[in-house]
Amino acid sequence: MIADSMHMPKMPKGLSFPEAVLEADRCLLCHDAPCSKGCPADTDPGAFIRKLRLKNVTGAIRTIKKSNILGGACGVLCPTARLCEKECSATGIGQAIRIGAIQRALVEHSWAIGFQALEKAPSRGQKVAVVGSGPAGLACAAELAQAGVQVTVFEERAEAGGVIRYGVPSYRFDEAFLAHELADLAFLGVEIICNTRIEGAEGAGKLLAQGYKAIFLAPGLWKAIELPGGKAPAGVEGSVAFLAGSRQKDRGEQARLVEGRDVAVIGGGSVAIDCAETAKHLGARDVYLVYRRSFAEMPAEPEESFSALREGIHFLVLNTPAGYATDAKGALSGLRLRRCRLGAKDASGRRSPEELPGSDWTLEVGAVIEAIGNGPDSANWSDLAHTDSRGLIVTEAGTGKTSAASVYAGGDISSGPGLVVEAVRDGKAAARAILETLAGGTR
Amino acid sequence: MSTKATVDLSVQMCGIRFNNPFLLSSSPVSNCAEMIERAYEHGWAGVCYKTLNSDRVEIIHPSPRMNGYDYEGKRLVGLQNVEMTSDRPLRHNLADILYLKKKYPDRKIIVSIMGFSNDEWAFLAKASADHGADMLELNFSCPHMSVEGSGYKVGQSFHLIEKFTTTVKRAVGIPVLAKLTPNITDMTEAAVYAKNGGADGVSAINTVRGISEIGFDDFVARPNVFGRGAVSGLSGPAVKPIGLRFVAEMAQCKELGLPISGMGGIETWVDSLEYLLAGATTLQVTTGIIHYGYRIVEDMIEGLSDWMIARGVGKLTEVIGKAVQNLHETGEFDLQRQGIATYDLDKCVGCGQCHIVCHDAGGQALRWDSATRRPELIEGKCLSCMICSFVCPVPGLIGFTEKPKDWKRLPTPVMDEAEVARVRFEPFTLA
Repeated sequence: MIADSMHMPKMPKGLSFPEAVLEADRCLLCHDAPCSKGCPADTDPGAFIRKLRLKNVTGAIRTIKKSNILGGACGVLCPTARLCEKECSATGIGQAIRIGAIQRALVEHSWAIGFQALEKAPSRGQKVAVVGSGPAGLACAAELAQAGVQVTVFEERAEAGGVIRYGVPSYRFDEAFLAHELADLAFLGVEIICNTRIEGAEGAGKLLAQGYKAIFLAPGLWKAIELPGGKAPAGVEGSVAFLAGSRQKDRGEQARLVEGRDVAVIGGGSVAIDCAETAKHLGARDVYLVYRRSFAEMPAEPEESFSALREGIHFLVLNTPAGYATDAKGALSGLRLRRCRLGAKDASGRRSPEELPGSDWTLEVGAVIEAIGNGPDSANWSDLAHTDSRGLIVTEAGTGKTSAASVYAGGDISSGPGLVVEAVRDGKAAARAILETLAGGTR
Repeated sequence: MSTKATVDLSVQMCGIRFNNPFLLSSSPVSNCAEMIERAYEHGWAGVCYKTLNSDRVEIIHPSPRMNGYDYEGKRLVGLQNVEMTSDRPLRHNLADILYLKKKYPDRKIIVSIMGFSNDEWAFLAKASADHGADMLELNFSCPHMSVEGSGYKVGQSFHLIEKFTTTVKRAVGIPVLAKLTPNITDMTEAAVYAKNGGADGVSAINTVRGISEIGFDDFVARPNVFGRGAVSGLSGPAVKPIGLRFVAEMAQCKELGLPISGMGGIETWVDSLEYLLAGATTLQVTTGIIHYGYRIVEDMIEGLSDWMIARGVGKLTEVIGKAVQNLHETGEFDLQRQGIATYDLDKCVGCGQCHIVCHDAGGQALRWDSATRRPELIEGKCLSCMICSFVCPVPGLIGFTEKPKDWKRLPTPVMDEAEVARVRFEPFTLA
């Protein structure tokens, strides 16, 4: 049973449609809108906000959805402050326009009024397979389907969505919202087959043999990187399993791990913040975020960090893990930490942590979640296409072409951990390259 | 399934086909070919070229020549201007018209002209027709003319409308529109004079004479032209209700029966559709372009097309004048049918705006529950003025519903019944 103390908050509401209209009213309708140059997925806020201003609401929705099948998700999840909103001219007289919020409101409005902005194209009689139903796979599928290609998406897990279903907590992005965007894909005729794992040269070969003209690989990165030092004791969990578990209807296992316990989360990125907050919501007593550099170097979006601070997460910065403490039975009793100070800048441009000798101490916790990054799972793609030292598939920039004929890749599996909107960019780019090849093939 | 392919936005006016109803109106936005060409690239179907004159008198524009009229946070709700006719040489304007007709044969040029005498009207009409004008628009309505027998002073002197129209029709064979001024009481009368002169259609409205702002430092109406202000032409969203009225009245006028080019405050597809429903066949725009640029036509086309698809309208011409049949004299309303406002209090946020307006301007039909901070409707006192719904910030909270035939509204109470007995008068009766 899940304890009463567990309380997973709901995803916050976005702007109502009238609020979005008011916000759009502040837009300066720039001649050469800088916001429109700031989106990796080529979404055009300059156009959709102008359309909204001129009461062309359907046109505004069309502008968003044609460019980005996950326009709603990006409106919710994008770090807009460092993308479209960063160069907003309105900052010259006040605050940036809340572009992401307007985008989300327009997409939600399309569902409220039942307006379908996308158009099915006549079939080209060609089929393409997509491996993985995360943002990259879905974006590729939508782009291809709108050009008349018959697309089948193969998803290993029980339901579609990838990282936006299993990799973010439900209070940031929930299933109901995702279901709407998936319905738009279904409208386009995209078929998603779940519980089907495609792996390596054999898996790809079978698909090509079945008549798929091209394959887009977007399986994502689903293995939490483990701290060095061998097998961790019971009570230590990886971020992937922890967050995915928190999205299941029965969250018992994750709740049992943290409920009533003091918990340490290791890492300074967005995923670490998500794990810390989720642990808190699942009933953890005190949650410590352990990060080896200082607050300013944390890769998490500043707003996420502030939100976690407000929720009472304790930030233990300038501390690096030195191993796990266990009790007589071998169970986790604490996280051994070593204090750090900031030294010279490293390759990332951030000041690097220097360990302080003799400063070891033990943080007594009942559970630890490791959130120090994701890597490829056990699937081996190197027998199919060139991969790099991290196991990522090597692709050509702008097209997603791999070293294997008719095989493309995108999203985290080729670009490394990135934003949803960057995965969308990869999916669209590969779709365009695939369409070029398909057109050539029919000539 | 393509959006654009399934609807037909083209219209016919006076035998001329327009790809869509959207035209630049005769104004600064149609000053030269360089500008009009750019407008064409955005999708405008044609232009009413800025009013030509015969170079007899040099045109010098006042400086500054416009003033923006803002309301609260909204910019350019109105635009005040003291613009004149074209200040370019006639030869240059005609050369630009030749250029446009050659390069864009599918776009239509309506040339606006203004003369001061019969001969001058005939000269300008012929010059325009000879250089490619598809149609003429006779400027009987420029709102800032001080010379008698010109601009809106023609539009106010109906016999001059007829006289000059007759002159132009004798001079050229192309269709002729009379552009009329709203600065009169009844535009249908002016329009009928134009028809009697041979006009093939009418354009309305030109700007409304007004004062949008007065400076508190200098006591000069805006624009302040070096210490002097003037009553001048107001345009933009603020005048749309006036434009719609004149267009609809002319569309209703059986004696007239001429096609109408409508304008006055059109910025969006919504405004456009209203003008079409009120009876306009083509639509002209200036202030919307001054506010947002030529690009607005893209949103007019897309928005109107989407509406047509959703509504199942295949051809835009199907909707022209559709609202005219539903326009009545107020005396023709069915006063037996009465209704009241309805409140969905689950949506209420407790601001009390409804209570304030109902108390101060309505029927005192709302009680305010200070404990719950919610209004409570006394149905019998609701006047159905609906002002509460105009100030309520929550969409869909306040609606309207019809009451049964036997429902009676409560009379407004007197403050002191005792005073009623002291009222002394003989009831008025018709002699």
